[in-house]
Amino acid sequence: MSRIKDLQKNLFGGTTSNARQFGMIFTLVAIVLIFQIWTNGLTLRSDNLIALFQQNSYILILAIGMLMVIVAGHIDLSVGSVAAFTGILVAKSMTEWDLPWPAAIVFGLAIGAVIGAWQGFWVAYVGVPAFIVTLAGMLLFRGGNQFIGNAQSIPVPEGFRDIGSGFLPEFGPNTGYNNATLLLGLAAAVAVVWRELQARKTRRAMDADPAPMWISVLRMAIMVGVIAFAALRFASGRVGTSFPISGIILLVLVIAYSFYTRNTAGGRHIYAVGGNSRAAELSGVKLKRVNFFVMMNMSVLAALAGMIFVARSAASGPQDGNGWELDAIAAVFIGGAAVAGGIGTISGSIVGGLVMAVLNNGLQLEGVGTDKVQIIKGLVLLLAVAVDVYNKSQGRFSIIGSLMRPFRRDDSVPPASPPDAEREPAKAAVSG
Amino acid sequence: MRKFFGTSVVAVSAAAMLALAGCGSGRDGDSDTKGGEAKGFAANSLIGVALPAKTSENWVLAGDLFTNGLKEAGFQGDVQYAGASTTVADQQAQITAMVTKGAKVIVIGATDAAQLSTQVAAAHQAGVKVIAYDRLIKNTPDLDYYVAFDNFKVGQLQGQALLDGMKAKKPNGPYNIELFSGSPDDNNAGVFFDGAMSVLKPEIDKGNVVVASGQKDVKQTAIQGWKAEGAQARMDQLLTSTYGSKELDGVLSPNDTLARAILTSVKGAGKPTPIVTGQDSEVESVKSIVKGEQYMTINKDTRNLVKETINMVKALQAGNAPQVNDTKSYNNGSKVVDTFLLPPVAVTKANAAEAYANDPKLAPLTK
Amino acid sequence: MNDVPTLLEMRSITKEFPGVKALSDVNLVVRAGEIHAICGENGAGKSTLMKVLSGVYPYGSYDGQIIYQGSESRFSDIRASENAGIVIIHQELALIPGMSIAENIFLGNEPRKHGAIDWKAANRMALDLMARVGLQEDPDTLIKDIGVGKQQLVEIAKAFAKDVKLLILDEPTAALNEADSKHLLDLLRGFRSRGITSIMISHKLNEIEAIADQITILRDGRTVETLDVKADGVDEDRIVRGMVGRELGSRFPDHTPKIGEVFFEVRNWNVRHPISAERQVCKNESFVVRRGEIVGFAGLMGAGRTELAMSVFGRSYGVYESGTIIKDGKEIVLKSVADAIDNGLAYVSEDRKAIGLNLLDDIKTSTVAAKLSKISHRGVLDEVEEYQAAEAYRKELRTKAPTVDESVSKLSGGNQQKVVLAKWMFTDPDLLILDEPTRGIDVGAKYEIYGIIQRLADQGKGVVVISSELPELIGLCDRIYTVFEGAITGEIARADATPENLMKQMTSTKKLASR
Repeated sequence: MSRIKDLQKNLFGGTTSNARQFGMIFTLVAIVLIFQIWTNGLTLRSDNLIALFQQNSYILILAIGMLMVIVAGHIDLSVGSVAAFTGILVAKSMTEWDLPWPAAIVFGLAIGAVIGAWQGFWVAYVGVPAFIVTLAGMLLFRGGNQFIGNAQSIPVPEGFRDIGSGFLPEFGPNTGYNNATLLLGLAAAVAVVWRELQARKTRRAMDADPAPMWISVLRMAIMVGVIAFAALRFASGRVGTSFPISGIILLVLVIAYSFYTRNTAGGRHIYAVGGNSRAAELSGVKLKRVNFFVMMNMSVLAALAGMIFVARSAASGPQDGNGWELDAIAAVFIGGAAVAGGIGTISGSIVGGLVMAVLNNGLQLEGVGTDKVQIIKGLVLLLAVAVDVYNKSQGRFSIIGSLMRPFRRDDSVPPASPPDAEREPAKAAVSG
Repeated sequence: MRKFFGTSVVAVSAAAMLALAGCGSGRDGDSDTKGGEAKGFAANSLIGVALPAKTSENWVLAGDLFTNGLKEAGFQGDVQYAGASTTVADQQAQITAMVTKGAKVIVIGATDAAQLSTQVAAAHQAGVKVIAYDRLIKNTPDLDYYVAFDNFKVGQLQGQALLDGMKAKKPNGPYNIELFSGSPDDNNAGVFFDGAMSVLKPEIDKGNVVVASGQKDVKQTAIQGWKAEGAQARMDQLLTSTYGSKELDGVLSPNDTLARAILTSVKGAGKPTPIVTGQDSEVESVKSIVKGEQYMTINKDTRNLVKETINMVKALQAGNAPQVNDTKSYNNGSKVVDTFLLPPVAVTKANAAEAYANDPKLAPLTK
Repeated sequence: MNDVPTLLEMRSITKEFPGVKALSDVNLVVRAGEIHAICGENGAGKSTLMKVLSGVYPYGSYDGQIIYQGSESRFSDIRASENAGIVIIHQELALIPGMSIAENIFLGNEPRKHGAIDWKAANRMALDLMARVGLQEDPDTLIKDIGVGKQQLVEIAKAFAKDVKLLILDEPTAALNEADSKHLLDLLRGFRSRGITSIMISHKLNEIEAIADQITILRDGRTVETLDVKADGVDEDRIVRGMVGRELGSRFPDHTPKIGEVFFEVRNWNVRHPISAERQVCKNESFVVRRGEIVGFAGLMGAGRTELAMSVFGRSYGVYESGTIIKDGKEIVLKSVADAIDNGLAYVSEDRKAIGLNLLDDIKTSTVAAKLSKISHRGVLDEVEEYQAAEAYRKELRTKAPTVDESVSKLSGGNQQKVVLAKWMFTDPDLLILDEPTRGIDVGAKYEIYGIIQRLADQGKGVVVISSELPELIGLCDRIYTVFEGAITGEIARADATPENLMKQMTSTKKLASR
């Protein structure tokens, strides 16, 4: 096997199952590249990167919860309304009932949990389809928001605003950068190296050849370089700005939920329920509990997203949450989730969300109106999913997947006898 | 985890390579940018204009006027509307993008005037002057100027016209009326309503004018988002609940879009046309006034408002203090904002030809 | 027989999919008015060949020629082949459950009068068509209200509505019970006498032997041979030899049972239907299983065997009414599937695709799915242990797949079944209930599955096998219960088991004397 092949096979992870994600990442890179040139370097400037994270963190947080809901085979249309409802209550709790802001955040999460339990109850224990339950919830909590707020905007105090518009603090010697952001970058770099070494160990334990050492080193070098660069970028914004706190909340959630969905029994049960609920049930998965959990979790995250938006806007308003559910759902599907459930990853959804975010941001920097931006976003969503559906119907996982296939075959031991695997790819799932 | 890991590698490395290409800006402090008070800026600078969603023709007109006016004045204009559904978030992102692009002045017609303080603060820190256009942005000390029509006066004119119109039709009261007000998240909606009530309240107290449904509170009269269908639905309900046998003499409507929706509802119910007020001089409403359906509208000539706003931008460019005529009335919750107020004009069928004589679009309709 | 005209000739058909050659140089000659069987293991290319013939794969997407009624046919889609009188009836019936028999028969082919559907004519014609296939029902009856056997007849009636000349049946009896199968085969004979040509794909070799005039055998996408049943004196063994390319000795591996004590007992089990509560699906049923014993459950379709098994398996079917389960001398209460798994029960369902497997999973994930706790520490899964477990079962069961990362949807039926078996063996059960463990699996793989079942029994586990194939039960089981209409009607030891006496008990209302 040549070095080039080694590189192609190992650098990007190497299996076809995440080929779709590569497609999206390449799309993301292409979009960033196009806008970076088109906007004369504005796209990747510190202040724009910071703004990009702040503006989209709440949608990406919603996408995490929505991914789990969609993987389990449901949908949640109520997230925007739940966010708005929580936002107005939290704003009121601080301005009218004088709750200190940390208590108000706990209060907001509790509201999310109660709403989630309500919706989860109907979905899991009564068996009303989530589409209906959350459509009802969408009306219910939108109305609740207007009822409580009288459709007015309620400002929130300074301390609370930090979760939406705050930054890592400035401290330590004057290095010309934000020291906290630099430390964060350093921690991330160490984590990346540690993970790579762990991954090599795991590969070896699974009797599979780990990637050649030089590839691991290259991979680590690229990643550490990237992290270092990103850290410098975020640390060199205007004094007072740095890596946004909402970005840190997002990062923590992405890492935690990625781990949960991939590496725990609970996470795997969500995929099992979405892939084949009856089979999951007959394998001992507690269906109701899983459904209840994903719906409840979604509402808690929606509450958090609502609070972050309110904090960033410095006030809760009657328009909060309008259309959020669609942005979150679009991110998840662009990120490769299946409409029928059972397929999708957190990282894919984040990439999907970022594609939309960068597109939005780049077009705005270019002064393209929202009408045209909406048209473009609509087309991107349709195209992304259509390409995927088309490729699947052609018996290929994706264009990139089929490019990768020859390399994958190399590491499989040829079966001793002719494989009696079904020869018709399209029929494989049906006959036999 | 490994797949996730691999995926991240690609994403991040790609971002990095691109980022490296765009590298090289130093760290700006607050002090660097704040120093430029009253020094002016280059004559061809970028001027951002962020307007709400295209829900009324007035905003569309304003956008066109800004685009052309800024161009004539030699600036680079960047005029943006908020999207139809995610209005506030869009506007926030647009303002941030304008700051990123290096706009020197940003004119904001706010979607929700209470939810922009973070973006206004960021603009201020980047040395950008912020002018609130038509709607006063709340709870921020970083707003520089406010340009608007005298909205309390608008309300007063509407109230007076309603009384005059009903009197002309039926010399003696009591008159049955209904009240409508604008979107509760729009600062101006309350001002219009208060202005109108300052005229109507004494008559109501005297019993000369009756709000037959009893819905006098602004919470009851408000139409969320200035939506026509909201007004029509409310009017439908009022007609069914209150005007089975009673006659409706007049309706206080805060703008033309709602006025036409109200008239549609009344016509649909087969009732005689009441006196309905309006505002904004929309084409359809001017036609309606000429036909004798809608009673009045307000001519707040958007041309003048945009012209005054651009004059402010020009003054700022030259390093001068822009002209203001009210430094006391408009407190946004954090400070009193220097304001330039324009006077509105009430228009009925009687003075329509005269009022729109200079408007190329409306003048032909009045002939 | 050379005087009989040829209806269809497929010449050197080659069909490739990206990376796979599904058919290479296949030839098929079908004479007018015969029943022609096509045999082959799963993946041999039978379905692909029929899809080429019926236009599912249009002209141009394959190489070779189709000569039909004397001239070359170039079908662009199914409609084109149907217009030529070629109708294919798939294994999965293409009927709409909520519509009536008549509506289904004329779906897409409705008789019209002035642009509107002429229901009077439709019903009249439907009755006529139904008479031709021997279906006695009201044409207004909904499809979901009639049994699978009758649904199959509706499909055939639908074919007649299209003026069929060549009828293709893909596994027509796979889902039918003995009586319905027999009726269907008689029907095919009747068609033959009326000059209608049929092509039949089937795994059931005894049926083929009984009914076919000629047999074409495919293996690995190639034609092996075409046999004339009468002239060549073909029997089942001859067909099997053609399919697998070698003599297959016994259909069952040799096995000496090591039967121990009774360890599992169900007593007086009563269960009601989940929706219509007045229907009792399990009527006071009792049975025992010994260690090391393979126990069969025989019964007609709908006798309630699956319902019994699933209701015992953590009440995963129906509404539990009464009855006790005793394991190792102690009564256990299984209220959920999780309880059942924790108490050492495993249930391999009859429909592995619908409810046995998550087809989105790979082999690895499927193998550990029913007992994640075994590979996790404090709720965190250990990838290495997962891999090692799956790999061990892949080797032990000789599952044919390049790696355990392969998606289960890409495996053949036999290998999928091995993955399901691995999944339940991984839970380390004491009692395995296998519901139709060899359905839709080819001969070679069946033999392997039987071997696995016997090894499990030899490890001291109890195995319950539910099967509709009597030879399978007789060949495999140490003891067989017969079930009829929700009640156990007999218990027959291996030595006494013959198809005849099983069939008698399976259709009798006499109840087994309660123990």
